This record gives sequence, C-alpha cells and structure tokens, in this order.
Amino acid sequence: MFRYLVRRFLQMIMVFIATTFIVYSLMYWTGGDPIQALAGEKPVSDLQRAQLVEKYGLDQPFLQRYWNYLSDLLQWPPNFGTTLTGRSINDILSDAWPVTMQLATIAILFTIIFGITAGVIAGIRRGSIFDNSTLVLTLLVIGIPSVVLAPLSQYLFTIQWKIFPTTASGVGGWERWSDPSLWFELLLPGIVLGSLSVATAMRLTRASVSENLRADFVRTARSKGMPGRRVIGIHVLRNSLIPIVTFLGVELGSLMAGAIVTEGVFNVPGVGYQLNRALKTEDTPLVIGIVSVLVIVFLVANLIVDLLYAVLDPRIRYE
Amino acid sequence: MTDIHVTSGAAGPTGSGRHLLEVKDLYVEFHTRDGVARVINGVSYHLDPGETLAVLGESGSGKSVTAQAIMGILDMPPAKIPSGKILYKGQDLLTMSEEQRRQVRGKEISMIFQDALSALNPVFPVGWQISETLRTRAGLSRKDALKRAVELMDLVKIPAAKARVKDYPHQFSGGMRQRVMIAMSLAMEPKVLIADEPTTALDVTVQAQIMDLLGDLRRDMNMGLILITHDLGVVADVADRIAVMYAGRIVEHADVRSVYKHPAHPYTEGLLDSIPRLDSKGTELATIKGLPPNLMRPPTGCAFHPRCKYAKAVCTTETPLSLDLGHGRTSACHFAKEMLDGTLR
Repeated sequence: MFRYLVRRFLQMIMVFIATTFIVYSLMYWTGGDPIQALAGEKPVSDLQRAQLVEKYGLDQPFLQRYWNYLSDLLQWPPNFGTTLTGRSINDILSDAWPVTMQLATIAILFTIIFGITAGVIAGIRRGSIFDNSTLVLTLLVIGIPSVVLAPLSQYLFTIQWKIFPTTASGVGGWERWSDPSLWFELLLPGIVLGSLSVATAMRLTRASVSENLRADFVRTARSKGMPGRRVIGIHVLRNSLIPIVTFLGVELGSLMAGAIVTEGVFNVPGVGYQLNRALKTEDTPLVIGIVSVLVIVFLVANLIVDLLYAVLDPRIRYE
Repeated sequence: MTDIHVTSGAAGPTGSGRHLLEVKDLYVEFHTRDGVARVINGVSYHLDPGETLAVLGESGSGKSVTAQAIMGILDMPPAKIPSGKILYKGQDLLTMSEEQRRQVRGKEISMIFQDALSALNPVFPVGWQISETLRTRAGLSRKDALKRAVELMDLVKIPAAKARVKDYPHQFSGGMRQRVMIAMSLAMEPKVLIADEPTTALDVTVQAQIMDLLGDLRRDMNMGLILITHDLGVVADVADRIAVMYAGRIVEHADVRSVYKHPAHPYTEGLLDSIPRLDSKGTELATIKGLPPNLMRPPTGCAFHPRCKYAKAVCTTETPLSLDLGHGRTSACHFAKEMLDGTLR
C-alpha cells in the first residue's frame, strides 16, 4: 500500500510537470504579443516595451522562462505570479476556488440525491413507467448542451417565474460558505451544472443495480430470509456503489473544471468564469495558473477514487 | 396387474404419518416471450428428519427449480406455480403470505448453492455473512453473533476460524468457501437443508470431504437433507433415498440400494451405466444418446422415449404414470415391472 502510494505520487508529479509544460508552451506559441495585450489599444513606446520585457523576463529563452515559472509554483506556498494587469493570481484563485467548490458541492449533492435514488428505483422496476420515463428524460438531458440548458433554465426559472436570482453575487472566498443566501443563489446554477451528471449517474446506477439484482448472492440473501428492503438496501446497493463512487469521484473533478459555460451564464465568480475571462483577454499567466490547479484537482480526485475503490471492493488490493 | 396400483406421483404414506416436508403434485411453468415452458410436471416427494433424499437428474430436469419453489426464491414472474402443494410440518407454504414464507426461509428450511464464490456476497466478511441472520432475525448483538459465527465455522471444520472470521470470500479456497456457505445455512439451526449441487464446483478429494461433512451435520442436528446432484457417485454413500428426475417429472423413486441393484426405469439404468468403473477400463464409456427435451415442446407420450433404447409404440403416445412397485418404490415407465424382472428387451 505504501509503495503504491509512493508510486502514484511520483506519477502525479510527472503528469503535473508534463501538463503544465504543454499548457505553458501552447500559451507561449499562440499567445501573440503579451505587451500589446497588456496595453490594449494604446501604442507602446520602445522604452516602455524594453522596460516591460525586462520586468517580465520576456527576453529569456523559453525553457528558462518555464523553469522560472515552475520553480515559483513548486515552492510552498506556491507563487502563481501576477496577471498581465498586475493582480496577484494567488488572490484571484483564493477568491474563485471556494465559489466553484460551493457550486460543485451543490451539483454533486444533487447528483447523489436524485441520480442514485432514481437509478435504484429504475433498476428495481426495470421496464416500468418510471424506468422508461426517466430513461427518456435522461436522454433528453444528455442531448442538450449546457450552452442551451443554462440560458434556458435561467430564462425560465429566474426571469419568467422569478424563483431564483438571475445571477450570483460577486462575493468570493470561503466566507460565502457560511451565508445561506449565497448558497441559495448558486442552487439553480448548481442544478444546471449537475443535471448531466444526474443523467449519467442514474443510468449507471440503474445498470449496476439491475445487474446485481440478478447476482447469485442476492438469491442467497433471499434464501436466508432477509426482507426485501435489506436485500436491496444492503446486499445490492453495497455492490452497486462501487462503480457509482468511482464515477462520482471523477465527476467531482470535472464539475469543478467544466463550469465555464454555467459560471459564465450565471455570472458566478468562480474558476470557470475567471478562466473564460483570462482566455478572452489573452492573460497567459492566469490561464496557466488556473489550468495548473485544475490538473492538481484532477490528479487528487483520481487518486482518492482509486483508494476508495480498494475500500469499497475488498477484492482489490494495491501492491 | 393386481399388486400394482397407480398413484398421482411418488409414493409416500399420507394422512397417517405426517412428513417433515412434503411436495405434492407440484407444477411449475416459466412464461417467456417464446412461450410457456413446463419445467415441473407433477413432482411429489417427501422428507423426514435425519433423512437424506438425493434428487438426481441432468441439467434442466427441474431438480433445482423444485428446490427453489420449496425455498420460495423463484422469480415470479416469469415462474408460475399453477398447482401443487408444498407442506412443511403439515402447513402449505404456497398459501402462506410472503412474510410468513420469509420466516420459514433460512430458519426452518435453508439452502446452499453450487458456486459458493458467487453465492457469497463479495464485499462483506464471511463472519458478517454467517452472522447476518443471527443479528437481524435472532436479535443477537453484533459481538455475540460474531462469536457464534466463529463457533459455526469451527463446526464446519474451517481451520483457524477465529482468525479468519473477518476475511472475505475471495480469500478462501473453494472447499473452505463451501464450508462457509454451509456454516451460514446452519446459523438458525434449520430442520431442512437443501444442498443444490454443493460439490459440483470442487475438486474430487474436496467433494468427498464436503459430502462427509454434510452427512455428519445431518445426523448430529437431525436435519432432513435434500441433496440435489447430477453425480450418481456422490450420492451412494450419503443418501437414503433417490428421486430421479427427467423433464420435470420424477421417473424413479426408491431407496439407494434398490436403485443401484435394479434400476426400474431405463433412464436410471442409463445414468448408472455411464458411471466409469475400474473394471471397464479400455472399453468405451456408455452414454445416454440424444439431448434432454425442449420443455417448450416436450415429446408426446413418455418424455424419455426418443432416447430410450427399449421404447415401444405405446411410449410415443401415452404418458406413463407413476407405478407403485412396493416398499415405497415408484417408477414412471410402462415397463417398470419388466425392467425389474429383467425381461425387457
């Protein structure tokens, strides 16, 4: 187990370095002129240009610049540098991450509560009206991209029926976790964000439950005289959870990253929103900073999933 | 024909001596998209305490389905029981409510399955699974139930039971897993144990050990044991009586000794002939030609006639009823008497 953890940790470091390198070089080769991007439409004099080149180290060779960036990142606390407009990226991230996590929490809870419940019911009553109607509904949800679903639900639920606030406030940081009204304003974006996961979780749970219902150990549990609710609630569900937990873990990672559209539509000041803005303004340091953190989130989520897998399924042991 | 009278199924004293378990003229059919398969067609057998009944037959003969009908674990639908009775201590299980039946399952009548690896839940420790009924049904505390689980594992001779009680099924060998299965089925001290091919998935040496264990437990706990198998070699030492099934019917029912000595049905004879013997070395092993019938479209008359080497004209048109041959022995063959006499050609 310890050896496995060490190996995984070393792999994570390598993946991290490789992905940041790819992102860094992509931004470097496609980014255009960062000084002009900084100045906007104003002309830049040669003196100013020279000063800025000196300040940001733009005259250094590519690998040197990447190394400078990486070594800043690998210290503790990591230093992400500043945006082109001079703001500390650390500040932006520490404001944006709690918002995105809050949004992802709502989405994942929504997924767990509705996706798994509906999936279990559909799995038990295969071929019933409930099963067929949820199947159609999930197909519909999977088929609608979030660029359609987000504005549509925003129009319906916030403008037409005025149930939820139209946009989220600009409050960032961990303080907003203790404010119920700020949770409420993220409820609709969270549900929109989670709807795709709900559909997938439901499908997965349904398949897993109906497969396990036919398993021999279910017949054994029944022949032991276990009541139906215990057979399903303990014997079937415990086995069905193995693929579901795996899915949820990976999904939590992508929910945090995949909120660009949803955060954009609802003006949620989270990571997706900042990433969207950084890409539009060609703010290379901010893009790389955000992507680096996303990579770490993904890697950690995957590690946790793999470890949970061994906890849930005793047949799996890591050497 | 004066000394032979026809009964509706296998013989057995009725009215006077009540049996522990009695299956009476049971019919089971499966309703599928392709049609109705009549898998059990009037099966009757009985079981007394401390007795072993071996139910013998090929796959698809209905031996497991009968057992599942007794347990009440048939999936209905597609299965349907149009008629018949299953009496346990004189009470018909088929007319009971689901809740009453559940109380019988595992506590009065218990069952072990062929493949213990898939029959045990892979994600729970064996001790947890053995003690589950004790915790949820007998009201034992977690600690006491686990202690009892260790005792049960000792009873079925699992070495180092105390150390292994928290192990998972996949950490045991095949034979040990089947012992876990047996320990689990004994937790509530049932009166009837149904063993559905308990040794089929095991090595030959382990098979003998498991059969011995089942025989000992049956005697010590005075249980009735229904042993379902397709292996005649397995039953010879353990069983008291044998019921041979073919196409959802009991074709022969007799005590073990008589069956081995003089089979009264051509199918039983075929089964006996296909056991390899030491003295038949070098000769080709006898087999029963053909395949078991399709139960969607069973043959007319005797279901066995297409494969029977003695088949006569009457066999293709008339379904033979169970003939009582005396001493609790029955055979569903038109020529059962001739078979016993050795005059059938």
